[in-house]
Amino acid sequence: MTKSKMTLITLVMIALLFTTTTAHAKVYLDIFGKSFKKITIGIPPFKGETIDRSRMDMSELLNKDLDMSGFFIVAPQSLMDKELTDEGIEKQEIKFSNWKSIGIELLCKGKIQKINGDLVLEAFVYDTLDGALMLAKRYKTKTEDWRKIVHRLADDIMLAITGEKGIMSSKIVFASGGRSRKDIYMADIDGSNLKRMTNYRSITLSPSISPNGRYLAYTSYREGRPNLYIMDIENNREVYTDRTDGMKTGTTWAGNTIFGYSHTLGRYSNIYTLNVENKDKKTAQRNDGIATSPSFSPDGTKMVFVSDMHGSPQIFIKDLPSGTPKRLTYSGTYNTSPVLSPKGDLIAFVAKFEGAFEICTMNTDGSNQRVLTVGGINDSPQFSPCGRYIIYSSNKGGMYNIYLMLFNGESKKMLKFTGGEETQPKFAP
Amino acid sequence: MKYLTLFFIFAILISYGCAPQAVQLTPTEQKQVQALQRGEDTLKDRDKKTGITEEELAARDKTKEWSLKEIIGNSPLKDIYFEFDSSTIKPYYFPKLNEIANWMKKYRNIKIIVEGHCDERGTIEYNLALGQKRAESVKNYLVNLGVDDASIKTISFGKEIPADSGHEEDAWSKNRRAGFKIDQKG
Repeated sequence: MTKSKMTLITLVMIALLFTTTTAHAKVYLDIFGKSFKKITIGIPPFKGETIDRSRMDMSELLNKDLDMSGFFIVAPQSLMDKELTDEGIEKQEIKFSNWKSIGIELLCKGKIQKINGDLVLEAFVYDTLDGALMLAKRYKTKTEDWRKIVHRLADDIMLAITGEKGIMSSKIVFASGGRSRKDIYMADIDGSNLKRMTNYRSITLSPSISPNGRYLAYTSYREGRPNLYIMDIENNREVYTDRTDGMKTGTTWAGNTIFGYSHTLGRYSNIYTLNVENKDKKTAQRNDGIATSPSFSPDGTKMVFVSDMHGSPQIFIKDLPSGTPKRLTYSGTYNTSPVLSPKGDLIAFVAKFEGAFEICTMNTDGSNQRVLTVGGINDSPQFSPCGRYIIYSSNKGGMYNIYLMLFNGESKKMLKFTGGEETQPKFAP
Repeated sequence: MKYLTLFFIFAILISYGCAPQAVQLTPTEQKQVQALQRGEDTLKDRDKKTGITEEELAARDKTKEWSLKEIIGNSPLKDIYFEFDSSTIKPYYFPKLNEIANWMKKYRNIKIIVEGHCDERGTIEYNLALGQKRAESVKNYLVNLGVDDASIKTISFGKEIPADSGHEEDAWSKNRRAGFKIDQKG
């Protein structure tokens, strides 16, 4: 009896020891802790890169990607002298103490080759403290898709160092244009592969894309009034349209088939959920006045939305299908555009302070409210699928642009796409 | 006897189904219907008997069109303005809306669209809904004054079409508005 008890305790202790060590080894940088220190990474030019660097600067793009990630300080190239850049890429060829002496904690080395017409990138990431190999990967692609493998490498480095994949392979869908003319665009997060998704010489806005990338939903005035459309992108087919009177907007997804939107007409607003496969439509919320900007938890059991049912716009959370809306915001007279994080533990929203509209976050019970932006009109926050980033639009720079920041407001970066006014960004696969 | 009861029940059901519709017409509406019917008859008669030349028709259409334009041109349809984040109609606009209601009751065949707009402050999506609420609030006011519900459509443009592109209160106050358009489609 005691013997078996002892064995059990030993087993548990071994298991505990094992889990703590692996967790420690895996997550180098825990962003969900109270604060974190950015890691300095050095990325010297890749071997074999000099051939056509003007057209295809892979190490430069990796520098940009990791800088945008917000987790790294990217060491400037000027720090690396010829001895350092000429060094080989294998562990035994590297003098880690030299890299360490210039403040570099992680070192990424790469080699590019052309094999049978394909582009092959081999990459290694070392810890300069002890020369430990953190990552070794080989990527192959067509030459014109060179950006793709750099983004994949950046995402893999993020996975190796932070425990979760990065977002550099993501696409962004957004609305762009001026007065009376807006269209939906999609592009890689670094601004390349820009594609116009709609072209109606009208106002088309509020895009959202299903997590599998198959359906694109938006509100468009192309038939004279704001109708709601869901397109199957693969075959450019309309799968659903709401042409009834009133305002239909606030499109969002809970999984790949459940779609949500709001409808304001007469005295009331409704928030509907629609199954795009069987067209089963349900009312998730109905109240006097406004109810819009719905956002669902990934399992579809919780919904946040904004409503003026008590006078000013405030944020509510509701258990679906039939819970009672619970008000979450009490401070200020203008709290809008709520969005649930993918893990369902955080809500990002927009609050009015004096003349400014700021991106804020709070817990799902309304506690722990934090202001993440400073000044201007900031709008349409959205979490990345991993939940570590918030993308939003802001006119702080004089015109509306799309920005990326960490969920705690750090590391704000402006993203560049069309050169025009850009709003309502959302992550797309 | 049995058949007679059935007949009565049937008759009651029929009259119950029809009667309310017949009663719904007010005396003025009945007159309008009669006038409409008479008008159709006379036109048909003239068509049959004398016929009218195409020039005559065109001329008549022109005068009709011109007078419609005149009616619209002299209409009291002027934008009304709101406070920030509000769809409440300010008392200042009550007389103006009364005038619009009277005008619409006078020209019952004219249909309008109320367009709700917002200033650039606030979020895009909330403003789309707020613009709708502004338009609805104007429509509701007019309907309460006796304007036919079916003759007013509402549409919101959120903050997408500002009247003034400025970035201060002067411009904002011009953008928080409800505008009117004649509904050409009817």
